[in-house]
Amino acid sequence: MVNAYVPKTLEDCLKLLNEFDLKIVAGGTDVLIQNRAPSQLAIGYKKDVCYILQIEELKKIYEDDQYIYIGSAVSLEEIMDSMIVPEILRNTILEMASPAIRHTATLAGNIANASPAGDSLVTLYLLDAEIEIRSMNNLRRMKVSDFITGVRKIELAKDELISKIIIPKFEFDQAYFKKVGPRLSDAISKVAFAGAYIVEGKKIKDFRVSFGAVNVTVVRADELEQKIISRTVKDIKKMKETIVSWYEKAINPIDDQRSNKAYRKVVALNLLREFIENLNL
Amino acid sequence: MKDISQSINKVDNDEKISGKAKYVADIKMEGMLHALTLRATIAKGEIVEIIYPKLPEGYFVVDYKDIPGKNIVKVIFDDMPIFTTGKITYLHEPIALLIGPDKFLVNELLKQVKVTYKEEKPLFDWVDSVIHYEFKKGEGFKPKKGDIIIEKSYETSYQEQLYIETQGMIGYMEDNEKITLVGSIQCPYYVKNALVQALDVEDKLVRVIQATVGGAFGGKEEFPSLIACQLAVAVKKIKKPIRLIYEREEDILSTTKRHPSKTTLKALMRNDKIISLAVKVGLDGGANIGLSGVVLSRALIASSGAYTIDNLDVQGDVFRTNTVPNGAFRGFGAPQMMFAIEMFVDHVAKKIGKDPFKFRVEHLAKQGDYTSTMGLYRDPILLEDMINKAMEVSDYKTKRKLFDQKDSYKGIGMSIFFHGCGFTGSGEKNHIKAKVKLKKQGDSVEILIAAVDMGQGVKTSFRKLVAHILDIEIERVIFNNPDTDYVSDSGPTVASRTMMIVGGIVARCAKEMKERFSEENFIVEKVYEQPSYIEFDEATFTGDAYPAYSWGVNVVEVEVDPVTYQVKLHKTWSVYDVGKAIDERMVYGQADGGLAQGLAYGYLEVMNHKDGKIMQKNMTDYIIPTAMDMPPMETYLFDNPYAYGPYGAKGVGELSLVGGAPAVAKAIEQAIKRQVYKIPVTPEYIMELVNNGKD
Amino acid sequence: MAKINFKLNEEFVEIDTDLNRRLLDVLRDDFSLTGVKEGCGEGECGACAVLLDHRIINSCSTPLANVIGKEVMTIEGFSKTKRYETIKEAFAEAGGVQCGFCTPGMIIATESLLNKNPHPTDFEIKIGLSGNLCRCTGYNLIVEAVKEAIKRGEGLW
Repeated sequence: MVNAYVPKTLEDCLKLLNEFDLKIVAGGTDVLIQNRAPSQLAIGYKKDVCYILQIEELKKIYEDDQYIYIGSAVSLEEIMDSMIVPEILRNTILEMASPAIRHTATLAGNIANASPAGDSLVTLYLLDAEIEIRSMNNLRRMKVSDFITGVRKIELAKDELISKIIIPKFEFDQAYFKKVGPRLSDAISKVAFAGAYIVEGKKIKDFRVSFGAVNVTVVRADELEQKIISRTVKDIKKMKETIVSWYEKAINPIDDQRSNKAYRKVVALNLLREFIENLNL
Repeated sequence: MKDISQSINKVDNDEKISGKAKYVADIKMEGMLHALTLRATIAKGEIVEIIYPKLPEGYFVVDYKDIPGKNIVKVIFDDMPIFTTGKITYLHEPIALLIGPDKFLVNELLKQVKVTYKEEKPLFDWVDSVIHYEFKKGEGFKPKKGDIIIEKSYETSYQEQLYIETQGMIGYMEDNEKITLVGSIQCPYYVKNALVQALDVEDKLVRVIQATVGGAFGGKEEFPSLIACQLAVAVKKIKKPIRLIYEREEDILSTTKRHPSKTTLKALMRNDKIISLAVKVGLDGGANIGLSGVVLSRALIASSGAYTIDNLDVQGDVFRTNTVPNGAFRGFGAPQMMFAIEMFVDHVAKKIGKDPFKFRVEHLAKQGDYTSTMGLYRDPILLEDMINKAMEVSDYKTKRKLFDQKDSYKGIGMSIFFHGCGFTGSGEKNHIKAKVKLKKQGDSVEILIAAVDMGQGVKTSFRKLVAHILDIEIERVIFNNPDTDYVSDSGPTVASRTMMIVGGIVARCAKEMKERFSEENFIVEKVYEQPSYIEFDEATFTGDAYPAYSWGVNVVEVEVDPVTYQVKLHKTWSVYDVGKAIDERMVYGQADGGLAQGLAYGYLEVMNHKDGKIMQKNMTDYIIPTAMDMPPMETYLFDNPYAYGPYGAKGVGELSLVGGAPAVAKAIEQAIKRQVYKIPVTPEYIMELVNNGKD
Repeated sequence: MAKINFKLNEEFVEIDTDLNRRLLDVLRDDFSLTGVKEGCGEGECGACAVLLDHRIINSCSTPLANVIGKEVMTIEGFSKTKRYETIKEAFAEAGGVQCGFCTPGMIIATESLLNKNPHPTDFEIKIGLSGNLCRCTGYNLIVEAVKEAIKRGEGLW
């Protein structure tokens, strides 16, 4: 039998992590399924567990001039209902999970899970979201896109905990998330897309797109975005197919039980085309 | 008296809504043990050796050596062993049960079992035909020089029943000798008969009780007999209550599904009409034949769909492969065939440049026509009126024209179909021989039949039927879940037979009871009487395959997203002739639910295997519709009473499923302006068609 | 093993058990609350839905550790309320019940939805039910039932 620790304060939690090798569990909606045992038996964790949902310090959402801060034990539903959270993230949450999942799952859990099909990641990458990571002796901050290094691979030491998600404030002219699932709700994405832009004068000041479920991690290509920024909207629309061909190289999906390579690729690029076509002055 | 069709609230609403209803997994018994199944990890081969860990006291292995009777699950075609004797024919085939008081320990022991195999190359191609049927109507398929022949092939894939309650059963011993099974089942007597054969005991030493069933759809027709036999053997050996409830993944990986099919149709055309049709159907039976032959014959009999074609040459095969055995699923061969023929008739019309709708109407079956097997459509067929109604309420013509425009991604599709009610051929008369008892005791009347309420509302509709005939309050009519110690063998709860066939006998009992109602306590017992004109030769497929037919028209409107190729259903309109609704709202419930499964079969539910392994093994990967996916559904019923059904009722349960797939596929065809040849019409397939397909 | 407290169906309960168990199993096996069903065991079907602090969650993907000090309500507890009576009558009247296995979860979903949004649109109702799978009804009569409950329960939510 594996042990369960349920710290009530962040300090206790970090002490525990410092002392033992623990699996951190927040809402548990993903972790429990990955560690399923037959019905009626305790969850089949491979090591001792630290449950963090009782830690009040991790349950706050607040903002300052530059950022929005979301505690790692805040449920998706609370994030979705918070008026200070960017609309695109709130919409992403609405599309990504059923009410029951939204009430328990957390954004930090989705990040730590590092699934190639994690919907919130697509939007978090788009927003340049960061995370705050704590351990007993350290506090650091890094971009979500740097934190996730591969399929279910993250840059988290065994004594560390994600304590906050930090979202920079932007005023986009338009920003949206589009989930392409096998059905209209309650399902894992075949492809996910997020896009946002700012136009100033006739020129694109900010242009960003990100794709989920088409590579080992979310695809967002800074160097391509830089090539697009500063051009006029008209030019960008004209060079739509060129832009698509740039992105084609970065989009490298797989065949699996949910969809296939060809479909994922074509649809991801179609979503990019649609985004470019709908750029507005 | 009120018209019988006027709806009443279901009698089991309260216990189901409040969570009090007992499904098999909810039953607790003193000292109950847990069983888990040891399964093969290869698709084909022989077991060389099994090394079990040392079992603590009170823990057991139960395998084929413990079977007192025949090591065969009695179904229709007896080829499924209860436990393998060493030969493995499909992945996850059951080898043994591990049983004990602590489920955790049973699971640990299971993980420690070491099985070594001698692997053989599994067969997945459809080449090993184990059942072949063929028959002709008229002159068969005999083209003359210069005749136009149009040929097309259609494919359908697996469909999983995905009842929300997994398979499960509890077995225990009564009085130290009688073995009792309580389970989630559709057919108490199928289970009982299988147990008698497996245990080799007298009939009275076996008892089967139905627990509340959390959905079945055919999936709990023959499969539960396998679990029951395994558990009964274990109970006989261990003499304690044992529980065997499947995990979802285990259920999906190892239980029967709808047969994947490939159908080739050839039309011989003269004067813009189909003169003759050649039909060739292949079904993947999986590793055991089981019910596959009956599924095939239902498919073949439906091969000209709702149309009359004078000359037919019909052939079909069930192929054995090293995959999970396929079996019963609502519709039973008809959904595969209805998809093929409905698409084909449109495709033929397009090919010869005729309006598909007109072309279909010209071929519609009419009263007095010969069926595919040279039986007679004796009763009125209301299809033309039904089609007109469906067109009117859906504004079909206007939309069809509008959506034909080049830049439209909308589509509207119509399917026209039938479903034969009751068992195919002489099944009722020769095999099932349904018996029914109605018992009067003081003020109350008890219905003693083996029909199972799995959600369709049997408990309500039968109590209502009897109360209506006797003109008493429904509260005075009792209908408990079937228990083979008390109820007669009225046959399985399958094949859209329950109300028409069993209800027909119950109605006859009730009418007799009414005449003797002043008597205090008595029982009326009756058996099925086939209408004398119904004769069917199973060897040659000649005669009336069904005593009656239910008919339907589905219209579906869709929109396809040109960016993601996803299909959105906007609305459906359905018109059905089910004879007479015994309860309108219950029929609407069946109509919606069946159509949802049929639509999803057509565009949503993807299941395939790779090297014999089902790839979509859980509810995350096997996608069924949510509330978001299903559109509003409008349903209209046409009265067309059948003389031998109670109040004229015919079959309902399966009819509403069989038209869904072709209707949605046709709607998608219009939306993408391409022809569809397989289901499900997934976004992946749509993309392929859009990029490569022909209009 | 640990001794924990939570509120279950309006009563404070204490239980000494492994916190790594699923809430579903604790409710069914230790408290005999079998109205909570297991359908998929992975948070897809909603048959195991209960209310946690008045919001729907899937008890199959909730570890017991996550309910410490919280309020759990199952269909058994909810069935003692007036809101339940209203929803029950609406489901019966609309014909929203077939095999019944998903039904307690649907009732919980309805309560959770109406508790947050007493006047949902049809679309919002569908979103509210989107985590609860039903294989029998095709959902239309369930959506009708929710609408009927809203009509009958004016002021209750």
